Amino acid sequence: MNLKVTRSGIVTAWLLVLLGAAPAFAQINFVGEWTGRYHEDQPDRVPGEEPGDFSGVPLNEAARLFGDSWDVARHSVLEHQCAPYTLPYMFFGPNQFRIWQEHHQDTQELVAIRMHLGTYQQERTIWMDGRAHPPEYAPHTYMGFSTGVWNGDTLTITTTHIKAGYFRRTGIPASDRITVVEHWIRHGNVLSQVTIATDPVYLTEPYIRSQEFVLMDRGNTNWLYNCEYVMEVPKDKNEVPHYLPGQNPWIGEFSAKHAMPEGGVRGGAETLLPEWKPGAKPAPARPGANGGFRPEDQPQRLAPGEVKSVHVQGNVHMIVGAGANIAVQVGEDGVLVVDTGNAGTSDKVLAAIKELAPGKEIRWVINTGMDANHTGGNELISKAGRTVNGNIAAIVAHENTAARMIKAGVADAARPFNTYFEASRDFPFNGEPIVLYHDDASSDDTGTMVMFRRSDVIAAGDLFGTDGYPVIDLANGGSIDGTIAGLNRLLGLTVPSKMLEEGGTYVIPGHGRISDEHDVAMYRDMLVIIRDRIKNMVEKKMTLEQVKAARPTLDYDGRYGSDAGPWTTAMFIEAIYREMSGSTAAGSSQRSAR
Amino acid sequence: MNMRTRAFGLAAVCLAIVVAGMDAAGQGRGRGQAGPPQTARQAAPIDLTGTWVSVVTEDWRWRMATPPKGDVASVPVSAEGRKAAQGWDLAADTAGGNQCKAFGVGGIMRQPGRLRISWQDDETLKLEFDAGTQTRLLNFDRSKQAPAEKSWQGFSLAQWEGPGVGRGASAATDVRVTGGGILSRGVPGGGGQGLRGGPPPRQQAEINSGGDLRIVTTNFREGYLRKNGVPYSEQATMTEYIHRLPTHPNGDSWLQVITMIDDPKYLNGTFYTSTNFRLEPDGSKFAPSGCKTDPPLPVKNAK
Repeated sequence: MNLKVTRSGIVTAWLLVLLGAAPAFAQINFVGEWTGRYHEDQPDRVPGEEPGDFSGVPLNEAARLFGDSWDVARHSVLEHQCAPYTLPYMFFGPNQFRIWQEHHQDTQELVAIRMHLGTYQQERTIWMDGRAHPPEYAPHTYMGFSTGVWNGDTLTITTTHIKAGYFRRTGIPASDRITVVEHWIRHGNVLSQVTIATDPVYLTEPYIRSQEFVLMDRGNTNWLYNCEYVMEVPKDKNEVPHYLPGQNPWIGEFSAKHAMPEGGVRGGAETLLPEWKPGAKPAPARPGANGGFRPEDQPQRLAPGEVKSVHVQGNVHMIVGAGANIAVQVGEDGVLVVDTGNAGTSDKVLAAIKELAPGKEIRWVINTGMDANHTGGNELISKAGRTVNGNIAAIVAHENTAARMIKAGVADAARPFNTYFEASRDFPFNGEPIVLYHDDASSDDTGTMVMFRRSDVIAAGDLFGTDGYPVIDLANGGSIDGTIAGLNRLLGLTVPSKMLEEGGTYVIPGHGRISDEHDVAMYRDMLVIIRDRIKNMVEKKMTLEQVKAARPTLDYDGRYGSDAGPWTTAMFIEAIYREMSGSTAAGSSQRSAR
Repeated sequence: MNMRTRAFGLAAVCLAIVVAGMDAAGQGRGRGQAGPPQTARQAAPIDLTGTWVSVVTEDWRWRMATPPKGDVASVPVSAEGRKAAQGWDLAADTAGGNQCKAFGVGGIMRQPGRLRISWQDDETLKLEFDAGTQTRLLNFDRSKQAPAEKSWQGFSLAQWEGPGVGRGASAATDVRVTGGGILSRGVPGGGGQGLRGGPPPRQQAEINSGGDLRIVTTNFREGYLRKNGVPYSEQATMTEYIHRLPTHPNGDSWLQVITMIDDPKYLNGTFYTSTNFRLEPDGSKFAPSGCKTDPPLPVKNAK
């Protein structure tokens, strides 16, 4: 049989096939421009909440302390002025958003649902292609990383990698460990969005809310958010406004003004249920309330002993899993390595470097400090490299680092010999300026920050971390004031990609995930607040035991605290206490190397 | 055979393939099977039955306590509605036998309490509220007429909606947010079964979590949207959608009730709320109480 057919026949046949297939693709469509309806909690969501109102939130004691310390003037801090709200709050404030879809060109399968939110000019992608969530050391953003699946006509979205932010504008905190599950439902021109936030740091159980949006017949043109952060009044630009415990004058105002039972407006899971009465006991913990997520819907964790690399920006990569984070700059001239990880991990580190820079020689090694988890691989990694003169790769560090390592008995081959003593040093490598800044009193007196000026990446060493309180090694020249000063200097070097406080300069912490200016600012804020609290307690002549019992770090312990290991919360408090009381003699806070 | 004939022949073959595919799919969903019409109970794409507790995370200050008189924040009240709210008199309501005005159909979902849902018969879903001891009957039989007398809970007509409706779906076990367990098979990219954006196969579990119940209620007595006398009138119409959300990863089951009230007398526009209830393991905490509204606490001067 002759298989030739007419063009119209083919078109007709395919049309029929497509028509037949159409119902199978008839998933609910959210494409369009939507605007909010504020018929629930309108005074909170539009004009703005009143201080001290924690009603309706299943928060814990840590979140209450955070909220009680909150001073709305914190929004005036340069780094926070233009910072958007994070996903857990974004849809509750005044908002309009545009939704569109991205389909695979060949298969027309839905790859992603994309959003532009007019408020704070945020872009959001909801991946529909079944991909897993990124590793835990990936950067966090205001909108986070989202994946979606259909449950019938309900779109269910799971989001992780969200920056630390707020559940409410008046300082109910949301940590960067949050997972948000959303359900999108459409009825005609009404979109209902349910959000269920799980935050093991600040909530005792998931926090569910829902709100409605309506399709706009005529799109609004106001899709931009023109914010410019500026100093509006002369003051210390690094000031962090906050209230010391018990000194917030606004607590109680909300309940009095609106005739609300005071215990109720303090929030808590027990206050959300019909049987709640003023004076009720806190709700018993619900085992497993914050758990149950599939591994694919959570940040991927490194397996024990696993060493991996991730591209940060420009010529700079980060190697994780070998102790402290390692920064690797790769280019025409060769390889520069910042820190070398734990002893015993060098084979894996070198393999990772080889994968990043096949055929390239390691020319430089820089140490950001003296700790063994930053310098343990010095000998093997420097020996694996070659300078242009044929020597093993030079190890660069501040002279205090070398001195402390000599004192600690570190072998010559593992010590830096190329030292500097000035406040900063720079040199060109791989076509970009490398600038070393000395931190003379942060964790100790050996610190170096390394800035890759063209790549716009800073390796901060132990000045900054996202997985614990900073080590304050008083015996080796460390101090909380020096750490805060170092972080302020770091903030002076970082510049966000837009005024909206995201991206731009990336910071590789000594330990933890890739960060940006916002993350550093939140960390700095925390240290200022804790330092001020302990200082105030010292001024009240409280003993160290009384200070510890007062739990001045309670609102951050769930995120950064530790009861075990080389650097505990108690040691951190003690170090600050001794510094604030002028007694810098090493107590139990003297740390062993992490 | 000429070209035109061949072309139509090919088209006919394609059409036959499509029709055969649709029929096969339909059979897989129970569509096209002969037999008596399904009852509403049999056709339910979601299982709403059980005892649900309201978890008051929104409008807390207007729901968990009685707000001050005249506090109409968030509600798009008309001038007449505002005036009526200002005239609220709790004592007069109680004396006049109208203490259930805050527990009428326009406000009952927002009352903190427990909601017990069960089938009264194959065509009637019963909603019992322990707050105010109120009962709503949702009629699926569309031939049913509203009674002559208006009541606090009015007359409700209900219908199932969603991708599984009319295809023989019946309530079954629900599904976690993973999308019906497809992803949990561990097939990268969904194994070409639709998770790359195409339609997931209409598994029973997905249908179960994707459908909803639409309810339109009229013929009710005037009542309050809030405890403090923010009014709705007898002229209002209330449309609701009830969803059972995909089971949360921690095992919680949530009911979501989307409510839209249009009232030409007391509202300037549609009043939208959505209320969340969590499934309880049993009905042991269902505790019926009378229609009692506490007076507002006195407003104190701020510090």
